Amino acid sequence: MKKYLVLMLVLVFVIGFVVGGCGPAEDVVDEPDNGEVIAEGQDLVIAIGAEPESLDPLTMNSAPAATVAEHMVDNLVYLAVDGSLEPSLAESWEPTEDGQAWVLNLRQGVTFHDGEPMNAEAVKYNLDRFMAKGDFEGGQAAIYAFLLSEITEVEVVDEYTVMLHLAQEFAPIISHLSHTFIGIHSPASLEALDAGENVTAPVGTGPFKYVSWDRGEQIVMEKYEDYWGDVPQLDTVTFKFVPEASSRVIMLETGEAHAIMAVPPTDIERLNAVDGIDVVFENSVRVIYMGFNLEDEKFQDVRVRQALNHAIDKEAIIATIFQGVGEPSSAPIVPAVFGYNQVGPYQYDPDLARELLAEAGYADGMDIELFHPTGRYSQDATVTEAVQAMFAEVGVNASLTTYEWGTYLDTVITPPDQAEHDIYMLGWGTVTLDADYGLYALFHSTQWPPRNNVSYYANSDVDALLDEARVTPDRGVREGLYAEVIEIIWNDAPWIFLHNEGQVNAVRSNVIGLIHHPLENILAWDAYIE
Amino acid sequence: MYGYIIRRLLLAVPVLIGVSILVFAIIRFIPGDPARAIAGVNATPEYIEQVRRELLLDEGLHVQYYVYFTNLLQGDLGRSTFTRRPVTVELMERFPNTLVLSATAMIIASVIGLSAGIVSATRRYSMFDNISMLAALVGVAAPVFWLGVMFQILFSVNLGWLPSSGIGTWKHLILPALTLGLATAALIARITRSSMLEVLRQDYITTARSKGLIERVVTYKHALKNALIPVVTVMGLQFGTLLGGAVLTETVFSWPGIGRLMVDSILNRDYPVVQGAVLMLAVLFVLINLVVDIIYAFLDPRISYGNKEVE
Repeated sequence: MKKYLVLMLVLVFVIGFVVGGCGPAEDVVDEPDNGEVIAEGQDLVIAIGAEPESLDPLTMNSAPAATVAEHMVDNLVYLAVDGSLEPSLAESWEPTEDGQAWVLNLRQGVTFHDGEPMNAEAVKYNLDRFMAKGDFEGGQAAIYAFLLSEITEVEVVDEYTVMLHLAQEFAPIISHLSHTFIGIHSPASLEALDAGENVTAPVGTGPFKYVSWDRGEQIVMEKYEDYWGDVPQLDTVTFKFVPEASSRVIMLETGEAHAIMAVPPTDIERLNAVDGIDVVFENSVRVIYMGFNLEDEKFQDVRVRQALNHAIDKEAIIATIFQGVGEPSSAPIVPAVFGYNQVGPYQYDPDLARELLAEAGYADGMDIELFHPTGRYSQDATVTEAVQAMFAEVGVNASLTTYEWGTYLDTVITPPDQAEHDIYMLGWGTVTLDADYGLYALFHSTQWPPRNNVSYYANSDVDALLDEARVTPDRGVREGLYAEVIEIIWNDAPWIFLHNEGQVNAVRSNVIGLIHHPLENILAWDAYIE
Repeated sequence: MYGYIIRRLLLAVPVLIGVSILVFAIIRFIPGDPARAIAGVNATPEYIEQVRRELLLDEGLHVQYYVYFTNLLQGDLGRSTFTRRPVTVELMERFPNTLVLSATAMIIASVIGLSAGIVSATRRYSMFDNISMLAALVGVAAPVFWLGVMFQILFSVNLGWLPSSGIGTWKHLILPALTLGLATAALIARITRSSMLEVLRQDYITTARSKGLIERVVTYKHALKNALIPVVTVMGLQFGTLLGGAVLTETVFSWPGIGRLMVDSILNRDYPVVQGAVLMLAVLFVLINLVVDIIYAFLDPRISYGNKEVE
């Protein structure tokens, strides 16, 4: 009878094999044979931790989506590694005299991968779709449509000139246009979508053309010979989705991947010692902080908030938990952001912390509820436990609560009367590299939950300065305004300013020219394999 | 027999409806606003409101279920809230991968488990018995993700024989299938051994031996066949578990299967995909159980599913 059983299993197996994805080897790019590295063709493989949810400007929501999309779809403006805004599909831009509109001069002679011309109509089509304005009125707006909320109308001036009309002056508009999710797609490819359908095979103007997307596995793209810039030297780029960090490390060691993102801190030292592998450290744009519930009586006194900032040894957290990757926060935004002003870090000084607490009437310490996510940010739970131990040193007894991410967000981003937490942990990436994005949403008093000012911070001076900086076109003047804002916020200490995340990637030494972007992207358009 | 199968299939309908209600309810009882989780940390209140409308979250549970169920009857499982693609497409892309992996793992498990179990039982307390049962103990206890990483280090990094992860060729299949199959093999070996030992003590085995039958015939024809019933039960259950529960193996080896899809979907609060995947697994479980019951009849003719004999 074992016969039947085996027969049945064999049958199931055969059916599965025929129906299943176990096709022949030739569709696999850079297939390692016997573990040997095959790098003859210029076929680059990058292993990343998560799969893009979508490649549609309307629904893209993550760094992996941005990384993949940027290879195939250009923006109007490119945000360079150093934070400067460089021409991409827009060659130049300037505000009108009254500042109520911006004129964009588009690059001429650019074609989409489907051969359609890139022009003002195409730009208008994409921006209107993104904002659900114009012909798209009443339709679904993008998740990130708020980036362009100040734009009232996109006007086609001539074939290569677009005018963006604003509801009011809004200085960061060009920074916002550089956001990867606002890529310009071929209108023909967007029109071909069914209602409710998402872009899965983007048709842009980028250096690489879409080839295939095997769900749960990889996205493959090939070089676009008619690219308007320097045509890439790589023939293909493949992004593989490898959720397990140790599996990514192994792929790099075996040569199955040329580059991997997000090396776990525990593997840094070992990988550094491997011949032929380089570990790359890069800043990120994300700050990790613990915000106070400022409506809570305990935290009304600024001395308590400052005391708890002094109680945390950020250096030790970076050195031990992150193996030296990252840095203590020296402002509410990271140094790479336009408008940054170094005001910190708060010195680690438990004696001073105890002193300040005593002055504020908490000589006997206090009990607090500390809420934190687990597994959302690098080492978040471990950091929280370290913070708990350091709190204990100054007499603050913190009890920890953690939830799964969705529940957590909903629990802490809540009106004051429903808040269960005293202190919560969150992170924020200033992805436009412009201080407005990092400060307005988190500290302006109009941004209380359900928006992102989760600490219920309200300071009329901060509000006024942030409002003014928004409508001031002069970058020098804006910089001064943000310097002032940051100083006020820092001294008000609505957060415990923890650290700026760092990112760690690793690359095989024969791969030259990869760009590791602070926005947690790896960009391969200038890369080649030696 | 056919009457029995039809009856069993009809009985499965209320089970599946029950499963669909249960899953539907459970994921909605997770605290927190799913719209917020789906929209992400940067989303505006307006966008969150849009998601809420789309998912009918402001309607009562009965309304939501009614809409879901009527769509289900038309074969429409809805669209993923995460990727915005039809759930049926998502499932059908992943299912063959899971089937190939689980079936291969099951073959590995059966071959290793049955032979180790039989040899252990017939050579009780021999060196082989002790070693294989110790190995089985370790196999049952070893965490899959640890075993998987060890295999990757040995076969991919050090020996360079096999790709460490991904999907594509038969070579990609070996490590995940082995990882997944070994734990089940250990379980099958232990069950086979104890079941065989019990059977070998029966009178009819003594009779068979006293008839002068050679030991091989006694072992395989008389003993094994009778010892297989609990083994088949375990194998059936295990196969069902493998289909839905290969999450860790699928994660370690980046294998794009149903298990990983389901866990990702739960984390993303992707209601339609979770509902669809669980329902599909429930259907499979029901079918596997049916097949197991039918196999019983082959193994032991005393078990019959005709009406008269049963009642």
